Amino acid sequence: MRLDRGVTSAIVGVASCKSVASRKAMNILLVEDDLEVAAVVTDGFQEQGYTVDHVVDGSAALEMAVDGKYQLVVLDRMLPSLDGLSLVRRLRAQGVTTPVIFLTTMSGIDDRVTGLEAGADDYLVKPFAFMELLARARVLARRPAGGPDPVVRLRTGSVDMDLLKRVVWRGGRNVELLPQEFRLLEYLLRNADRVVTRKMLLESVWDIHFDPQSTVVESHISRLRSKLNQGGQPDVIQTVRGMGYRLLAH
Amino acid sequence: MSSRLYAAWDTACLRTRLLNTESFRLATLFSVLFLAFAGILFVAIFWIVQDTQTAALLSTIDADISTIGNGFRDKGVPEAIEIIQQRLGSPDYHGEDLPGGYILLVDHDGRPLAGNLQSIGHSLGVIRIRVPLRGRGAAAVLGKGVELTANTYLFVGRDTATIVATRKTILRAFGWLSGATIILAAWGGIIFSAQFLRRIDGITRTCNAIVAGNFSDRIIVRGNSDELDRLSVAINSMLDRISALLENLQQVSSDVAHDLRTPLTHLRQRLEAARERSVSLDEYSSAVSRAISDTDELLSIFASLLRISQVESGTRMASFARLSLTDVLRRLAEMYRPVAEDQNQLLISDLEEEVHMHGDRELVTQLFNNLIVNALKHSLPGKQIVLTLRKIDGKAVASVADDGPGVAPEDRLRILRRFVRLSASRTTPGNGLGLALVNAITNLHGAELVLSDRSPGLLVTLKFAGN
Repeated sequence: MRLDRGVTSAIVGVASCKSVASRKAMNILLVEDDLEVAAVVTDGFQEQGYTVDHVVDGSAALEMAVDGKYQLVVLDRMLPSLDGLSLVRRLRAQGVTTPVIFLTTMSGIDDRVTGLEAGADDYLVKPFAFMELLARARVLARRPAGGPDPVVRLRTGSVDMDLLKRVVWRGGRNVELLPQEFRLLEYLLRNADRVVTRKMLLESVWDIHFDPQSTVVESHISRLRSKLNQGGQPDVIQTVRGMGYRLLAH
Repeated sequence: MSSRLYAAWDTACLRTRLLNTESFRLATLFSVLFLAFAGILFVAIFWIVQDTQTAALLSTIDADISTIGNGFRDKGVPEAIEIIQQRLGSPDYHGEDLPGGYILLVDHDGRPLAGNLQSIGHSLGVIRIRVPLRGRGAAAVLGKGVELTANTYLFVGRDTATIVATRKTILRAFGWLSGATIILAAWGGIIFSAQFLRRIDGITRTCNAIVAGNFSDRIIVRGNSDELDRLSVAINSMLDRISALLENLQQVSSDVAHDLRTPLTHLRQRLEAARERSVSLDEYSSAVSRAISDTDELLSIFASLLRISQVESGTRMASFARLSLTDVLRRLAEMYRPVAEDQNQLLISDLEEEVHMHGDRELVTQLFNNLIVNALKHSLPGKQIVLTLRKIDGKAVASVADDGPGVAPEDRLRILRRFVRLSASRTTPGNGLGLALVNAITNLHGAELVLSDRSPGLLVTLKFAGN
């Protein structure tokens, strides 16, 4: 990861007060022809200390993204000259593995599937809360190419998970979890210290891509929390108001 | 174009259009065929009558020839002359004003011995001659020439006026018949075509009325179930379907407009109140937060509406695949058990293994998600929700039962519509679109949705075509 320290260091200092995860600088390529959306996204990312290059044109975006200097591409699906779907396909065909998030007004089930099949890593339907995009950007930008780490053991602070034996310990105490609770904790551990939104949890833990109109995530988090904290240990799952949850690593 | 002008133009066009109609063409074709048939019949009758009359004449001629011949052979020329004179004097040989028959006997020098003809030559067998009449042209005579001896030639002939008269009668009759046929065919063709055109025009008028916005107009059905009637019935039922869809669409549009106005009103009031009364940054901040959550509520209504219309469009059927309903329901049961427990309710699942169906996994998941969420929402604490899955006659039958207040029979169909919320649930959160989506997904899968009474509570049963 190349850092453009001259530009970002000052802002990073400010941003780090807000979030632990934003200490690392990030270069983001934003490809979006809606200038209002682009302005909100650019401002939001810059506030977090990230460098954002904004382009409107798909072909220009392809040339810039091929360099591989970005840690994330945020891409509108409908663009002038070269549409988002073709852009992702060409990037992937040229071996560029930079994570790509689609931003789109196309909310159909097929649209999501075709977007992911083309090689995008995530998909966010407009209108969206910037916090949702930020959380996803952070999760994606740290993720190595080719999916999750092939680890067999996840350890963060006092929480220890064995993925082969499907066992969890909290400070040496064995914690009995139901399958869905196990998957929930696994996702939190893999993204330790990063905020994950309710929507991200629904998508990755339960494969639910619609609003269930229910407090499913809250209920499961509260079960998991009480099971982890049974031994009187401090709470490791932090609720981030208006955003989601964060598993504390320390 | 004014209506009167249109009517005049219509009538003028009707005349020319008449000749272009299929029924007129058919009438013309049939009358031509009839005329051809009548023509063949006429020719046949003509020849038969002519032959019969000619044969009758020839037989009387033969009789006279043999009488004269017998007299000649028995007693010689004078006897023959005697008989000829007698015959010529008989009424047979004298018509009203014309001689009806002609006889000529000549000797070997060609001198006439007896008869009422001049020399006619020496032809033998059946011959036709023309005999000049005084001032009246000539008579057509059919006769026979024979040689009584080598030197004596006899001709006996009869006027063919009767045959000619019969021929004329037949021709005249045929003429009248043909004329009548042509007139009748044309008249019938015009009548039928006009009738046909009137009915077609009726259909056109109805179509035009519908284009103009009068959706209640229907084609008049005569009730004789002919082709046009069947077409009219088909068009009418198509129009019924279209107007039902249109009404539904209008209903949906006005529902959408109405139901979006409520949250928008709340949003506006909140923002207005914040502007008027808020004094601190905290108050502004909380007003903005509430405004954002109002907006999110609106966006979720839009998302639900979009989802419903996407499902109703039927395009998702292309991605149908075999899926395990057992698997879908087990995941949902696991997912919602803690939610139920948090509300002091019990979610019980009784699922048969290996129950499969053909469908869209995400939509089927959303269908049961909505039913379970509804059951959880409408059940009181301490009650239970039962999720059942069975395979009955090869069909996957799933049900969601609750102990809640249930739904009155008259409301059971109504609550499947968009934005319909029963008064009992007006105070609970929700946008009234959950069951509308359930209904749309059910229809997409060709499944059967039954809402029944569990006394107390509601039982929602879904029957899928299995496999």
